Amino acid sequence: MSGKKRKISQYESVKEILNSLQGKTVPSYQGLHAFWLDPEVFITASLYGQRLIAPKANNTSSETKGCCGSRDDSHINIPASQPTKKSEGCCGSQQKSSDTASQQPAVSSVQQPPIHTSIGDCWPSGGQGGGGGTHPPVYKRSDQSAIIKGLKGLYPFDGSIFPKLLWDATAKASADQIQIIANWIDADCPLTLEEENSKKEVHITPSNNHLALANGELLHPVSSNTTNQDHRDNKGLTIRKEVSSLSPKELGTFREALNCMFQYTDYWQDERSFDYWARIHTDSCQHGWEQFTTWHRLYLYFFEQKLKDYDQDIALPYWSWSDYADQNKNTFNNKEYDLGVLPEAYGCFLTQKGLDQLKNQKTSEGKSILTKKEIAALEKIVKKGIIYNSGLRFLKAAGIPYEIINVNNVAVWSDKIRAIYNTLKEINPLWFPNRWPGSMGPLSHYPTKDDIDVLLSLDNFGDFGGGPSYDHHYGSLEKVHNGMHNFSGGTNPNYPYKGNTKWQKIYADLGLTIDPQNQENPIYGWMTDNRITAFDPLFWAHHSNVDRLWARWQELHNGTPQEMNAVLAPWSMTVQDTMSIQKLGYTYMRDSVFYDVSSKVGLVKFNSAPATISTNTLDTHRKAEIKIHRVQRGNLPNAHIRVFLNSPDATIDTPTNGNDHFVEEISTFHGSCYGGPGHCNLPLDKTRNFDYRQLHHHEPRNYKINATDAVQRILNNGAKNITVQLVIAGIDGKPIDNAIYIDGVSLNFMD
Amino acid sequence: MDNTYTTFKIHPSIGIARLGNTDDDFYLTPEQPGTLPIACDEMGREQKDSKGNPIRVSSFKDSNDLSKIKKQAARFRIFSYENGDTKGEEIKVGGSYNFVYETAVTAPRIVKGKVTDIDWTVHLANKKASWYEFQENNGQQGYAPDHPLRNPEVTQPDLRRQLIIDPGPLTVNLKNNRGFFAKFGSESKKTDASKYKKVSYPQTFPPSDIQPNAIETLGSLLVNEQEKNIRLIVLGGNGNSGSTKTTVIESFVNNDGWFDDISDGPVTANIEYTFMDTVYDGDKEKKVKTTGTMDVQVPAWVVVGYPRYVPEMEDMITMDEKMYDLFVRKMAYDPQVFGVPPFTKETNSPKTPEEFDIWRNEAHYNPDYYPKFYKELWPQLRRPDDFKYTFVFDFFGGGDPHNRGTGGNLDYKTLSIPPKNGKDPYYRLRQFVYGIMRKTDQLNAYEVEGNYNLTSNKPRLMPLLCGDNPLTNTAPQKFLSMTETQLFFLKQWANGKFVNECDEWGESNSSCTNPWANPPTTGIGIDRGVLSNVLGGAFCPGGELSWIVDNPAIYSEPYRIKHATYIAGGLSIPQPIANKDGSTAPNIAAGMEPGDLTKYIGIPWQADFHECTFQNINTTYEKWNNIYPESIGDPVEQQIAYNIPWWPAHRPIVVPESLNGSQVYWASGIPNNNAGDLQMVEAWKDLGFLISEGEGITRQFYQVERNNEALGDPVQPGNRVLGQSFGESNKENNSN
Repeated sequence: MSGKKRKISQYESVKEILNSLQGKTVPSYQGLHAFWLDPEVFITASLYGQRLIAPKANNTSSETKGCCGSRDDSHINIPASQPTKKSEGCCGSQQKSSDTASQQPAVSSVQQPPIHTSIGDCWPSGGQGGGGGTHPPVYKRSDQSAIIKGLKGLYPFDGSIFPKLLWDATAKASADQIQIIANWIDADCPLTLEEENSKKEVHITPSNNHLALANGELLHPVSSNTTNQDHRDNKGLTIRKEVSSLSPKELGTFREALNCMFQYTDYWQDERSFDYWARIHTDSCQHGWEQFTTWHRLYLYFFEQKLKDYDQDIALPYWSWSDYADQNKNTFNNKEYDLGVLPEAYGCFLTQKGLDQLKNQKTSEGKSILTKKEIAALEKIVKKGIIYNSGLRFLKAAGIPYEIINVNNVAVWSDKIRAIYNTLKEINPLWFPNRWPGSMGPLSHYPTKDDIDVLLSLDNFGDFGGGPSYDHHYGSLEKVHNGMHNFSGGTNPNYPYKGNTKWQKIYADLGLTIDPQNQENPIYGWMTDNRITAFDPLFWAHHSNVDRLWARWQELHNGTPQEMNAVLAPWSMTVQDTMSIQKLGYTYMRDSVFYDVSSKVGLVKFNSAPATISTNTLDTHRKAEIKIHRVQRGNLPNAHIRVFLNSPDATIDTPTNGNDHFVEEISTFHGSCYGGPGHCNLPLDKTRNFDYRQLHHHEPRNYKINATDAVQRILNNGAKNITVQLVIAGIDGKPIDNAIYIDGVSLNFMD
Repeated sequence: MDNTYTTFKIHPSIGIARLGNTDDDFYLTPEQPGTLPIACDEMGREQKDSKGNPIRVSSFKDSNDLSKIKKQAARFRIFSYENGDTKGEEIKVGGSYNFVYETAVTAPRIVKGKVTDIDWTVHLANKKASWYEFQENNGQQGYAPDHPLRNPEVTQPDLRRQLIIDPGPLTVNLKNNRGFFAKFGSESKKTDASKYKKVSYPQTFPPSDIQPNAIETLGSLLVNEQEKNIRLIVLGGNGNSGSTKTTVIESFVNNDGWFDDISDGPVTANIEYTFMDTVYDGDKEKKVKTTGTMDVQVPAWVVVGYPRYVPEMEDMITMDEKMYDLFVRKMAYDPQVFGVPPFTKETNSPKTPEEFDIWRNEAHYNPDYYPKFYKELWPQLRRPDDFKYTFVFDFFGGGDPHNRGTGGNLDYKTLSIPPKNGKDPYYRLRQFVYGIMRKTDQLNAYEVEGNYNLTSNKPRLMPLLCGDNPLTNTAPQKFLSMTETQLFFLKQWANGKFVNECDEWGESNSSCTNPWANPPTTGIGIDRGVLSNVLGGAFCPGGELSWIVDNPAIYSEPYRIKHATYIAGGLSIPQPIANKDGSTAPNIAAGMEPGDLTKYIGIPWQADFHECTFQNINTTYEKWNNIYPESIGDPVEQQIAYNIPWWPAHRPIVVPESLNGSQVYWASGIPNNNAGDLQMVEAWKDLGFLISEGEGITRQFYQVERNNEALGDPVQPGNRVLGQSFGESNKENNSN
C-alpha cells in the first residue's frame, strides 16, 4: 500500500544535519574528525574535556520518583534537640508527638483542619529556577551534551573557551536541526529505526503478538493503566469516574496528592496547599442563585488542574448520592446521629503500619497511649480491614472512648484521640474527623434515583439551576445538594446539645463553655457549614456529582443561566466559559475499561478479554458506549467494522440481523489521499502552544457506538461479564487486513 | 528613537607615545604586538597601502641626521557602543548617535545628534623629581614615614610642587588643532593654536638653566580628520634631561637635581553635535538647529616612554599580559579562566566592593579551561629564541636552549599537538618545559628542585631574567616568573588541556598561528595591542611603567586608569610634605593625576635604561640579596648567578651589526659606569634600532641607523677596547 512511508532513522537525520553543516572542511576535533559518523565515538568521546553526548543519567539523580513524586531527599526541619518520635508516613511527613499539639491555642476562625501537619516539599516542580526552589533541575541528557551546547553556542562554546560548533563550518545550525539532534539524544541515541521502534513499543505493550491479536486469535487484555492515562494517550478527555470505580492505583495517587497538599497547610497562600483551595470557598462561594452551578464548575476545574500538576492522570471522582440511597433510607430519617453511609473511599481504616505507629506513641509520662485491650481490638480491625464511615464509629469499634480536654477554655481532643486521628488521616487523607454522616434530626429526606430523574426532567435552567441576581432563587439541584451537605456533615453525638446530659456533664466537669463552632468538637460536621465545608475532602466528590448532574441536564435541555457574560471571581472566566465540560477537558463516566490496540498492524478482528466492571455498574448504569480510538484515515481502503458483544467466535459470516449480540456496523469513508511525499503520513502531535489550527485531516478519528441496549440484552440473557468484538470487512464484504488501524477500544458506562 | 544613549569610549585605553628629538617628524604607535610603527603624514594621518593596511616605518631617524630620533605618537579615537554591543565602532563627523542633551534650564533628554567636532583634552605632567626615591619593592604597599624623598632638601610644599613639571591641560579640536605642553613664552608655545591658549595656568617647569638639556615642553597635541574620523595625536617630549647641579649620575634610578621630559596624564573628550530641536513660538512649532556637547563617558590615559629600539621584538612579559593577569585574578575579567564555578560571565559579575571581596575569596582557575596554543601559549615559548639577537646566551659558545627548530626544546611542531584519541606523544616534553618554568613561589630560586643528575648542572628555572628586586634585602625577588595566569595556561598545556586553534578553526584562516596578524578593529583589541609593546616586567623600576600597574585600585575597570579630580597647580606631593600645609596628598583610591603613573621610573630615565643590561645575582640564600659572611668569618661559599639579563627585548645588549653581520655591543662607545649613564643622557639618540627580516625560525634581527659618528664603531664581544662597554649593569647591589 502507498501508506508505506519512507522513513529514515533519527540517527540518519542527525548525521545528515551534521554533514551538511560541516561542509567539506572537517577540522581535527582533537583527532576525532567527523565524530558523528562513528556512533561509538559520538556517544562516548569527549572534545577537549567536554562529553559530546552526556552519559545517561544514573538513577539516583533523575527519574526516581519517590513516594508522592518527591525527588528531594531533603527532610523537614525538626530541631534535633526535640525528643520527638517520627512517624513515617508517605511523603516523609513527620508528625511530632502530639503533646505539643494540644498546647496550640484553638482559633475560632478557620485556619486549618484540626489535624496537625508538617512541612515537606513533596510537590513536583519544573526544577529550581533562578530564585531558588529546592528541587534539582530536571536532567535532560541533551542539555548536558557538548554537541547541543556547542551548536547552541552556550558556555563553554560561547566563545569564552571554545567557539560555537561546528568549527570551521560556514553554516550555522538552525533551532530545528538542533532539536532533532537533542531529541535523538534524549531518546537514548537509537541507531536504527528498529531500535527506535522497539524503544517505543516496549513502552506501550510488552506483547509482540501483534498479528495474533490483530487476527482475533489472542484476546486483547484490559489495559492495566489508569483510565486517564489510556484516554490521555489517545488524546481523549479527562474522565471523572464514580468514586467506587477508582482502581486502587488511582485512589492511591489521589490520596498521595492530597497528603502532599496537606503538608503545605502552614502556607495557605501557596497554591499547593489544600487550605489555599478550601479557603476560596470560604471567601467566594456562590450559593442561592444561578452562579451556583457555574462557579462551582470552575472551582473544581482549577482544583483538578492543580492536582494534575502533581500527577497528570488524577481526576476528581464523583459521589453518586443516589447509589447509597437504599443504605441511607433510614440513617437520614432518624433521631440517632452518625449512622449514615458514605463512599468507602472516604471512610477511615487502620493499616498495620498505622497501628505500629500508634503503638510506638508515648504519653508525656512515657507510657503507651493505647491500652493492651485497645491494641488487641485495633489489631482485629486491621486484620479484618474494616472501613468506618466516621472516626467516632472507628473509636467505638476499638473500645476507645472519645475524649476532649480543656486547653485555655477551649475544648480540644485529648492527645490520644489526636494521635489516632492523625494516623487515620494520614492513612486516608479523604477521611475527615469532624464528619458524622447521617441524620440532622428527623424527617430529612435522602435523594433517590427517582428524585434525581425528576430533577433532570426539569425543563428550564431557572428551575434546575437557580435564578439571576435580579430574580434570584435556589434551583432544585442546589436544594438537593444542600441536603447532602447536611447529611454528610451530620451532627456530633458528643456535643452537649440540649438533652445530651452525658456531654453536658463532661463539659461542666471540664469547665468548658459550650461553643457550637468549636474547631474540634463542634455541634455539626464541617460539611454542613459553607464557611468551612471545603476543608472536608468529601466536598470535592460531592460537588463533582453536582457538576455531573448539571452536565447531564445540559445534554437533555438547552437552558442556560441568564447572565452569560458575568465573570466568576476569583477566576477570570465567565459563565459562558463554563457551558461545556468537554471544552474544559473532561467528562463523566461511571467507569471505563480500555483495551490497547497496536496500530502497527492492520486489524482483522478485535477480540477482548472480559471487561472488569463491577456488578453495581452493570446493574445501575444509564448508558453503555463502545469507543474506537484513533482510527487512521490516510489513504486507506474503506471498510465495515461490525461490533459484537460476548461473541468471541464472531467472523465475517456471523449474522447481524436478529443477533442479540450484534451492536452496530459502522463504515469508514476515506477515499484516496494525494500530495507530496509524506503527505499521507500521520500528523505530528499537537504540542505547540498557540497552535490554533483545526483538526488535521489525517488526524486519526474516533467512533462512539451506543451499546446500551445491546448490553442490556445480554445481561438480561444472564451474562455476568462483557466482552467486545470488532470484525472488519471490506466494502466488498470480504475480509481485509489493511484497512483498519486503531489505537484502542474502550467500553464506557455512564450514569 | 532608541531610548538609550550611546556609550562613548576613547581607545586605546592607555596610549603610548615615545620620546624623540626630531622637530616635527613622527610616526604612530603600533597597535599589534611586535609590529613596526605606522607611517603617517605631518598631521598624524595613517598612511595606508592599496589594501587598506597600514604602511609601516622601518626608519626611525631623521633621514639626514642619525642623531635625531623620530617621536612615536599616541593616536586616540572614540568608539561608540550601542545597546550592550562590545565591539564598538569608531565615530565619524556627521555620524548620528543618541546624545544626552542638557542645558542650564532643561532636564536631560536623549536626542539624535550629528557629530560636528570633538574637544580633546590632555594633561601631561612629570612628577618624578617630586616623588619618593625608588627603592625596589619598598613602597609598593605604601611608604614608611621616613622613606627618603628624591631631592630631600626641598621640604616646603610649594617648592616641592615646583619639582613637578606641569604645563597644564590642553584642549584641541578640528578648528584649534594644535597645542603645545610648553612653557608660556617658549618658542613652541607661541605657535600654540589650542582652544584655550590664552587661558593662563600656574605652570611649573624646571629652571631653564638645567644641564645638559633644558626642558621647555613635555610634548604636543594634534587633531586630524581621516576618513571622517576625528583623531587625537599625542606627542611626547624631546628626550631632554638636565640637572640643576653639577651633572653627575650617582644612581641608576634616583638622582637629585635631575629632571627628564617623560610624562603621563589623562585623555578626555567632549563631543560636539547638532540636532534639530523643536521649539515653540506661541503655538507655532519650529525646528531649530541646536548644538549640544556631551562628555565621552569612558576616558583614557596617555603614557610617554623612551624609544622602542627593537619594535618587533616582544618582551618576555608584555604590559598587556601583566595587566590581563591582574584583571583576570582581581576584576573578573575572564571568568572562564578564573572565576567561581560555573565560570560563566553571568555568575561572575561582581559590582560592589563587597561583591568583589566575596568574588576574590571564592574565585579560582577553571580546571576545564583549554588555553589556545597560538594565542595563549606560543608567545611565551617562542620569545626567548628572539633574544639571541639582542643578547648572547652562552659566552663560551654552543647550546641553544630556546631552539625553535626541529628537535629543539621549543619546536612548535611538537609543542602544539594536543592529545588526540587518547594518544599524547609529546606529554613528557611539555611536562619538562612546564617543569623548568619558574613558578610564582620560586622567584628567588635559580635552578629546578628535584633529583636531577648531580654530576651535571641542574636546569635553570625559566625565564632566566632578573626579577623585581635582585638588589636589596627588602622583599627580594631575584628572578622573573611568567604571570600566574600564564603559568596556569602552561600547566593546562602541560597536562594536555589545550587547543591548537589551527587544527580546529584555523583551516579557513591562514593567520591562525598569529591572532594579531591583522590590525585590531575593536576597541579592546586596540587597547591590548598598544599595551603589548610596553614592558610588563621586571619592575626595577621598569621600562615605561613600574609595579604600580599591579595595584587593582588604580583602575576604574579593566585596562582603564581611574581619573582623579584635581585643581590647577595643585597636583599632589608626597604625604609628609603635603601634611605641612594640608595640600593634596596621593590618594590612589580617588584616582590618578597627571604624572602619577611614570613618577616611579628612574630619573633621568637614561641612567636606568643604560644599566638594564644584565646582572650578577647572589643566589646563596633565597631571602637575601646582599650578604656579608666575611664580617663574621662565615666560610660559606657564595653562589652567584652571573650575567642574568633584565629585558633583552627592551634594552638590547649584543646585536648583529647588520643583516648576517657580526655581533656587537649595542651600546658600544658608552662605558659601563656612572659616567656612561651620564653619557646616555645625550647618547640615547645616537643608538641604533633593530629591524627584522624573514619569518618563523629564520627570522633575524639586525641593527640599523646607529650613529657611529657620535659613538664610534661598534665593538664585538671579546674584542675589548678601552672605554667600550661590556654591557654589564652596575646597579648598586652586593659589592662582591
